[in-house]
Amino acid sequence: MSRLILLLLVVSAGVLGAGLWIPLKALVAQELLTLAWAESEARQAQIRPWPWADTWPAARLALPAEERPMVVLAGAHGESLAFGPGLVVAGERGRGPVVIAGHRDTHFRALKELSRGAQVRLQHPGGRWQGFQVVGTRVVDSRYEMISTADLAEDVLLLVTCYPFDSVDSNGPLRYVVEARELPHIPAGSTPLVTVAGQ
Amino acid sequence: MLLSVLLPAPDVRPAPAARPLSRRPRRSLRWVEGVSVWLVMLLLLFVHPLYAEAADEPRPETGASFHFLSADGRWQAPAMVLTTDYRVTVTGMVAQTRLRQEFANTGREWREGVFVFPLPADASVHGLTMVAGERRIVGEIQPREMAQRAYEAARDHGQQAARVDQQRPNLFTTRLANIPPGESVTVELQYQQLVRYQSGEFELRLPTTLTPRYMPGRPASNPSRQWQEGWAVATTEVADAERISPFTVATADVADASHRARVAVTVNAGLPVARVTSPSHALTTTWNGSAVTVTPTEELVTMDRDFVLRWQPVRSAEPAAAVFRETWQGEEYLLAMLVPGLDNGQWLARELVFVIDTSGSMAGESIRQARAALLEGLATLTPDDRFNVIRFDSETRSLFIDSVAASANNLARARRYVMALEADGGTEMAPALDAALGSEGTPGLVRQVVFITDGAVGNEAALFARIRNQLGNSRLFTVGIGSAPNMHFMREAARYGRGTYTAISDLATLAEPLAGLFGKMKAPVLTDLQVQWPGADSGEAVFPRRPGDLFAGEPLLQLAKDKGASGELIVSGRLPDGSQWQQPLDLDQAAPGSGLHRLWARHKVDSLQDQNFDGQVSDAVRREITGIAVRHQLMTRYTSLVAVDKSPARPLEEDLVAESVPTLLPAGSTTGMLRYPATATAAPLLIGLGLTGLMFALAATMLRRRVFQ
Repeated sequence: MSRLILLLLVVSAGVLGAGLWIPLKALVAQELLTLAWAESEARQAQIRPWPWADTWPAARLALPAEERPMVVLAGAHGESLAFGPGLVVAGERGRGPVVIAGHRDTHFRALKELSRGAQVRLQHPGGRWQGFQVVGTRVVDSRYEMISTADLAEDVLLLVTCYPFDSVDSNGPLRYVVEARELPHIPAGSTPLVTVAGQ
Repeated sequence: MLLSVLLPAPDVRPAPAARPLSRRPRRSLRWVEGVSVWLVMLLLLFVHPLYAEAADEPRPETGASFHFLSADGRWQAPAMVLTTDYRVTVTGMVAQTRLRQEFANTGREWREGVFVFPLPADASVHGLTMVAGERRIVGEIQPREMAQRAYEAARDHGQQAARVDQQRPNLFTTRLANIPPGESVTVELQYQQLVRYQSGEFELRLPTTLTPRYMPGRPASNPSRQWQEGWAVATTEVADAERISPFTVATADVADASHRARVAVTVNAGLPVARVTSPSHALTTTWNGSAVTVTPTEELVTMDRDFVLRWQPVRSAEPAAAVFRETWQGEEYLLAMLVPGLDNGQWLARELVFVIDTSGSMAGESIRQARAALLEGLATLTPDDRFNVIRFDSETRSLFIDSVAASANNLARARRYVMALEADGGTEMAPALDAALGSEGTPGLVRQVVFITDGAVGNEAALFARIRNQLGNSRLFTVGIGSAPNMHFMREAARYGRGTYTAISDLATLAEPLAGLFGKMKAPVLTDLQVQWPGADSGEAVFPRRPGDLFAGEPLLQLAKDKGASGELIVSGRLPDGSQWQQPLDLDQAAPGSGLHRLWARHKVDSLQDQNFDGQVSDAVRREITGIAVRHQLMTRYTSLVAVDKSPARPLEEDLVAESVPTLLPAGSTTGMLRYPATATAAPLLIGLGLTGLMFALAATMLRRRVFQ
């Protein structure tokens, strides 16, 4: 009997550890990614955050709830999303629509707090910041709806994460989409983090 | 953040397992109870809002499109399951196909199915049979409006009916009304096409899906708010956009057995065949005397790419000429093929302009193929040549302002530029054509434009007109890219551009077709082609009326209607060095052919339509086309096939639901429509499970203590 209990204890602790490992990985990866971003800005090249990474920092995203901007990775395949939000659709040279997807349980949990009028900023390689204002949020069913990149407006930023926020189902069909439009000018004095490259 | 909630956890987690159980039982018991309370609270924090309901407020203006939306705005899963069956018989140069489309209605309502599908670019569709259970209804050719009225009347009266319309020369729509719930109805189409022969190889292409096309222009003034057949709305440049834009979905999004095709091709080449290959599918080949039966190794293939079949005659038996003859309704129809078999070994100094499509429809595998094709093209340049690279999507940009010499430096720059190309945006092809064809060119050099694209545009006719008007002395060559390129565009653009075309189906095998194309581009082997038919003027009845220039390995094809032609056909032309070339072809040795009159009629209709590019054909021409079509039982833009069952099937008090059957996204393509990525982790589930397990373990420990005390 006590063996059984011990087994249950060990297994549960293991599962809990595995569960906690995911947010921990997300936090640690962001630290490494911030370094890689600074380096890639300094050397004007795509720097892989760790040697075996299949992605690289592509932008930085500042949400109002976070005191530090998050590093956004290129592409949004399952592996890369564990480390940071992924750039699904990237505007060319800072123009055109941008779609960023992130994990609901880690980086993009803060999307819940974004409401109409909130300001989101995006930093492109080269250091230029682009300001966006949230114009609306909605829930979509990914089984029946797709993102039609050709129909997206030029100045739109879509942030995508899973919905509902507190669900335990990791394969749910619903997505939470925050739509933001570009602001003509970014507020002055809004470069929060000085990178190694000195912006 | 999630982690801030969790941070207290590590202090408590290791404790329960580590604490010895025997010493000071009471105190440790209290401690364990305390931990449990914390665990319960943590668990509650996690599980509490678990089943939040999703609130739906669709806002289509964010650029997302909706599928399967019923009238009251609710999602409805697709109920239609589609299976197709291609049975092709190749006799000589003509392939006759029986295409069966079976629509199974798995829903509970009566349904009308609408399916937009591609056929080969030169298909002449001539037969329709609707099979519902035991009943076979043979369809007939009618002028399009009449067919539409007949179909709609039958649909509204509950009768089963089928109608097939031509939207583009290679794009058709099947409509099938009143499919009973839980049953299936089959539409059987008959069409024929010419097999392509070049460089000693025959090729047959069966398209099964289409690359979603880009519709240039602004949306037309009043988009209808009714049930939409396609994802695009009519624009100022593409008036029928909604009819040629079926919803395109990934293979995983249709029902398991849906969108599968059976293919069987029997080749009676009439000459010994050395080998049969396919760049698109693995094949099972059965040899039966001189006939070869070919099926894909998989019994049911997914309809996400063209089925391409090639066969080569035994080396010594490669045909140099062939004549087929058919007598139909007292008239003689002739198909003549002549391979000049010439090869000029010389290189001309050229000015090569590569135009590459980097629009959204090229994303994925296609852009990789296009980049590889372009690099291959750059590798054929010699230091005497000049070149430029133009890319286009929503905008057109060129690498160099004007063509530059193909020096090592410039080539290296071009290679770097090409390798960095990514695909997104629209397909505004017209400015790219202007840029490629507009400039004067360098004196003394032959100007050639290589157009690398998937041809996914809705305004083909306008583009052909542009090519014809601006071509000047240039030549245009097209390279079709992807699993389902628009071959109608490739073929016609090359024809108006006085060039030739090829298609690439996958990265591994692109070298061969490209080597063929770049080899041909060295120079046309025969220009100023003249064909003299025996007897008096048969000019009105011979197609193509003005044969274009011939490139190495290409045959000259002629279709003629004649009242008993006999004697010799004389083909003459000019060789690159300026000398005359002439070859006779004996018509009396013709082999019997079948269906030639339909091929002839199709060419006749095409040539009548060519007279006007903007799609506005005069009433007289329209009547003439309709007359030819009805006589030869041929589907055209103005005539449709329709089959109506006289006895009603659906009780009128039951509703009919219209459903667009989607087409599959071409393999390897990540086109315009993006799936939302999966954006959840297993973390909450794992944490929840872990906490629950720990709680049970602690509870069990406490129980045991209480029992033993």
